[in-house]
Amino acid sequence: MPLISARELTKRYPGVQALDNLTLDVDPGIIGFVGANGAGKSTFIRILLGLLAPTSGSVSVLDLDVARHPLEVRRLVGYMPEHDCLPVDVSGTDFVTHMGRMSGLPFAAARERAAEMLRHVGLHEERYRLIGSYSTGMKQRIKLAQALVHDPRLLLLDEPTNGLDPEGREEMLMLVERTGREFGIAVMVTSHLLGEIERVCNSLIAIDAGRLQYSGSVTAFTEETERLRIEIDDDVPEFAAELRARGLAVEEHGTELRVSLRDDAVYDVIRDVAAELTVPLSRMEITRHRLEELFRPADDHAEAAHV
Amino acid sequence: MSERVAGAIYDLGYQRYIGERLGRSYAVRSLLAFSFKTAFGVGRGDKSKIIPVIVAVAVYLPAMFSVFVASATGAPSAVSYAGHLQFTAFLLALFAAAQAPELVVTDKQHGVLSLYLSRPLTATDYAVAKLGALFGAMLCLTLGPELLMFLGRVFMSTAPFATFKAEWGKLMPIFGGTILTSAFFASIGLWLASFASRRGYGSAAVIAFFLLVPAVVSMFRNVTGGDIKRYAVLANPMLLIVGFANWLFDIQARQRTTIARADLPGQDYMYVMLAVCVVCVALLIRRYRRVEP
Repeated sequence: MPLISARELTKRYPGVQALDNLTLDVDPGIIGFVGANGAGKSTFIRILLGLLAPTSGSVSVLDLDVARHPLEVRRLVGYMPEHDCLPVDVSGTDFVTHMGRMSGLPFAAARERAAEMLRHVGLHEERYRLIGSYSTGMKQRIKLAQALVHDPRLLLLDEPTNGLDPEGREEMLMLVERTGREFGIAVMVTSHLLGEIERVCNSLIAIDAGRLQYSGSVTAFTEETERLRIEIDDDVPEFAAELRARGLAVEEHGTELRVSLRDDAVYDVIRDVAAELTVPLSRMEITRHRLEELFRPADDHAEAAHV
Repeated sequence: MSERVAGAIYDLGYQRYIGERLGRSYAVRSLLAFSFKTAFGVGRGDKSKIIPVIVAVAVYLPAMFSVFVASATGAPSAVSYAGHLQFTAFLLALFAAAQAPELVVTDKQHGVLSLYLSRPLTATDYAVAKLGALFGAMLCLTLGPELLMFLGRVFMSTAPFATFKAEWGKLMPIFGGTILTSAFFASIGLWLASFASRRGYGSAAVIAFFLLVPAVVSMFRNVTGGDIKRYAVLANPMLLIVGFANWLFDIQARQRTTIARADLPGQDYMYVMLAVCVVCVALLIRRYRRVEP
């Protein structure tokens, strides 16, 4: 049973195409959902929650049609929004308990699970403090706790590392990974930083300007986007032509060539060509396309550094 | 294993929830109960309790005074039901200005509304729960003191049974009057507050409504005459309560007051109040249906 199944999902705002004919099936696991800011990630999540009606197309979550059973879907889903969503003058434990009750847990159960979840996210000590006095990192954690309190089958995390310092990001990603792997809850986590979330995900969805760019495993995505950067001193065009003649995809950037790294045989081909043309290789390096560059390959100036 | 540092995550394992999950009506009731407590500042900081406490003291004190006088002197009525209801109206306006924004504006301002809407309840459920909470809180401030006065009169009198027989006909107007008055202030206050982006703006809107509308109506009355002038009384929310309470408890309006001069049939006041309630509730629900979280 697919976790999420979208069919020709389209959402148009006046003047903006937020989602364009999105068709995809997502299996349970930890799913990374990447795209630049404004690519349509939040729109997709709001449609999944039934908060926004698509212009056309349909989507189902856990085999429930969102348009027909929005409340049932929301009962099974935990949502952590990107923006601020916390009251100021309520204590952490009162807030999470209240949110548990809003999802149908009886009072005693909500209270017990709120305590458990606050402990899970590392807020056990601060649970009686007013949320207004929390730091940014603590606020992100309590947002995660309220999304988990009713034991959802699917967790939707919208940019959970936003606004956190490097250490806080690391801790948040660890929490996400633990929630997905040990708790057995399917997690969909969005980010505009691919490098950050690909470590914790086992599958990946990439969208740009509302269009699906990639949907599949992280490993396949890595292979597809990995490039070998070769720097040579001269004879660049000849070298490139020879590589192309042997069936490699090559891009030229000044004294630099970028070769799509399909498999290890690519290295042998480069070695052979270098030997035949007697061109010294001054540098060879595996690089990754930046997300933006992947989506807009026309951009020559973008540096193909790490993501 | 790494060292245990401050804020580290303690490993206690995860337990799935296998207990019962209650439905949408439970969620609405939970939100109503939570918001009802918020209306009195329970579970909030001390600052949130100031206005509710002032209003509660102000409405219960005369009622208790009335009971005290009745017990000490045997005189039945130091404060009349109608008088108390008319006096409470001003405090309800103040309460609405302070607490209606507390209920809806803070949710919107801090984004909590989108969290509620991602739970199994609809935007209409949210509006209904908030309205119910404010209405319930106001009922505590109107019905509570009047019932206290009623019970005081009955049990402090020398012949409780006889007094009850004489007084029990007042129970209907007490319930009807306090329920409609609470609904009136709650629906106007919450609807006005639902547009505000900050709590202060919401309070200002509610206060402005209950101060400016009477002022505008009285200016309007000064430049008109005849039937228009008479019926213009119905556009003044504070006079509506006075006229309604007079009719309800069968009291003659004091000579030379605006109400006495207008000389309108008493039920007109009730009809207008009912209509205002219905319109404000409809507008409030429509407002939340249009919210895009």
